[in-house]
Amino acid sequence: MKFYQLVSFTAFLICLISLSYHFFRLVKLGSPKDYSSKIGNLYSAIPYSFIGAMNPLKKESAYLHYPTYAAGILYHSGTFISFILYFLFLFSFSFSDFLQYILICGLAVSIASGIGIFIKRVSLKKLRYLSCPDDYISNLLVTAFQIFTLLATISESNATYYNIGAALLFLYLPLGKLKHSLYFFAARFHLGYYYGWRGIWPVKNHK
Amino acid sequence: MDNFKNKKDKAIRILSEPKDSKLITHLNSCVHCGLCAESCMYYLATNDEKYIPAKKVDIISSIYQRYCTFTGKYFPVLTGSKELDEETKDEMIDLLFGACTLCGRCTKHCSIGVDISYVVRTGRQMLSEMDMVPATLQSTVNAAVQTGNNMSIPTEEFTDTLAWLEDELKNEVNDPMAAIPLNVTNTNILYTLNPREPKFFPLSISAMAKVFYAAKESWTLSTIMYDVTNYAYFTSNNEEAIIIAQRLYDEMLNLNSNRCILAECGHGSRAFRWEAPNYLRKKFPFEVITAVELLAEYISSGRIKLDKELNKEVMTLHDPCNLVREGGVIEQQRYIMKNTVCNFVEMTPHGTENFCCGGGGGQLAMSEYNERRMKIAEIKAEQIRRTGAKVVVTPCHNCVDQLMQIDNKFKLGVKIKTLAEIVADAIILE
Repeated sequence: MKFYQLVSFTAFLICLISLSYHFFRLVKLGSPKDYSSKIGNLYSAIPYSFIGAMNPLKKESAYLHYPTYAAGILYHSGTFISFILYFLFLFSFSFSDFLQYILICGLAVSIASGIGIFIKRVSLKKLRYLSCPDDYISNLLVTAFQIFTLLATISESNATYYNIGAALLFLYLPLGKLKHSLYFFAARFHLGYYYGWRGIWPVKNHK
Repeated sequence: MDNFKNKKDKAIRILSEPKDSKLITHLNSCVHCGLCAESCMYYLATNDEKYIPAKKVDIISSIYQRYCTFTGKYFPVLTGSKELDEETKDEMIDLLFGACTLCGRCTKHCSIGVDISYVVRTGRQMLSEMDMVPATLQSTVNAAVQTGNNMSIPTEEFTDTLAWLEDELKNEVNDPMAAIPLNVTNTNILYTLNPREPKFFPLSISAMAKVFYAAKESWTLSTIMYDVTNYAYFTSNNEEAIIIAQRLYDEMLNLNSNRCILAECGHGSRAFRWEAPNYLRKKFPFEVITAVELLAEYISSGRIKLDKELNKEVMTLHDPCNLVREGGVIEQQRYIMKNTVCNFVEMTPHGTENFCCGGGGGQLAMSEYNERRMKIAEIKAEQIRRTGAKVVVTPCHNCVDQLMQIDNKFKLGVKIKTLAEIVADAIILE
């Protein structure tokens, strides 16, 4: 492992340990104990919270904002792919030309989405009102990470910058809103539990 | 100053000593995407960004960040962390009490799944710990705690009203044995009331009494504890919520009824069915259901016979948030409407998507926010107008009150009725 890879991997381990602290804290605190009489089915409601309830046709945050929703999906997909690529690069995995072409195109679209989301945050008054520095930094760091990933996919000569970018992202991730990469799943669980207990989810007849 | 600090410390402890993982999950999840804005009536009606639900979450999470996280303690600017000072406290009161009906619509549509109304209630709990609940709302809680019902109705006035209603019932059903039983033990049902009923809308009590008569039900009212409401749920003062919930629980045990039937009251049904077992930290040894479910049960089992030709006007249904989106009673009221009225038109949107009437979350009790409350009611008025209905039916007395004010302000020309009233109107007595 080269020095810059060691730096980014150390940062990754710090990130992993920090997120693990958050994860185990959640597990230790546990779910709320509900003494009321359950009328729903948690086994269908909790999966519904992650799948059916995320259907864009069922959420105003999606169907009233399709361009933002699409950009968000693409951007998050690009981030997941970038994280997978980070480990593949670490093990010197090589791609076929075709796969490399697909990755470059996919990341380019994702990066454009990330920049679009950033521009939206900067330009809309209501989003500026809601935003704190962390919102901008998180967006920029993730977008930069994707840009470095794209460059590293094109050429190994970009590996130094790439690993520095990755290290910065890993170190920052547990500090701010990027923690939602963990808390998102906990939030969906709690929401599924809450609505499921009361028989509200899965939604049957109503949109 | 020390007094404020002590109160502040108590409020912060709610955030720093979570009982489970739910609170810290929701305080760490919001990404400030702002996509919840259009799900909130306050934002839709005013276009003012301070009313975006994410802002209401942010005010609590920024305090959480400041006092309970590494980043917030050492780099507060980075995450927008806030001191819980006088300015923040005033902003909390205005946003969490004065600009949220706890309808939960934003929660359902949040891109992440942040339980926004739960976070708002946590903020209200913090304000409650600091004795910062608006006096108007607190006085309703005080009335319930001190007198046993939130309208401070003396027992004599209550029993007089019921005696009069019983006479009316006897005349209506032409049976001298028809009764509104009081404090009878070992009945199948203990029926609760919203104090607005004996005070302002006694006909809804006679409607339900007629339904019980037609169903040949074994039931009773209690003069000791009949109030289904629990306004301490709105103030998030758990100590007072426990006092109110405990009374109804004790009365169920005293009268030894099998089923506690919660009157048509959105928050009241939620507070006793879903929240009270958690306030009291025990499973209830009796059944608790809403009047809506009971009416649907009577119809489906054939215990009451209906002729929907007796309800010919075009009617629509308003879904109370606490009963529907937060309480899971979604289809029963539709089943009742379809069996009770000739012309039933749904609002758009409806069910779990419905908009609040604007009077929820204690708004009707807080007169200082009246102007804002009626401003957001434009949305409900427009929903009703689009149905072309002449009658708006709603299984919630709080909603009835707000809808009557909406009718008056926006000149809709509609009548507002409860479900029991339209069922009673359609009953065929055998």
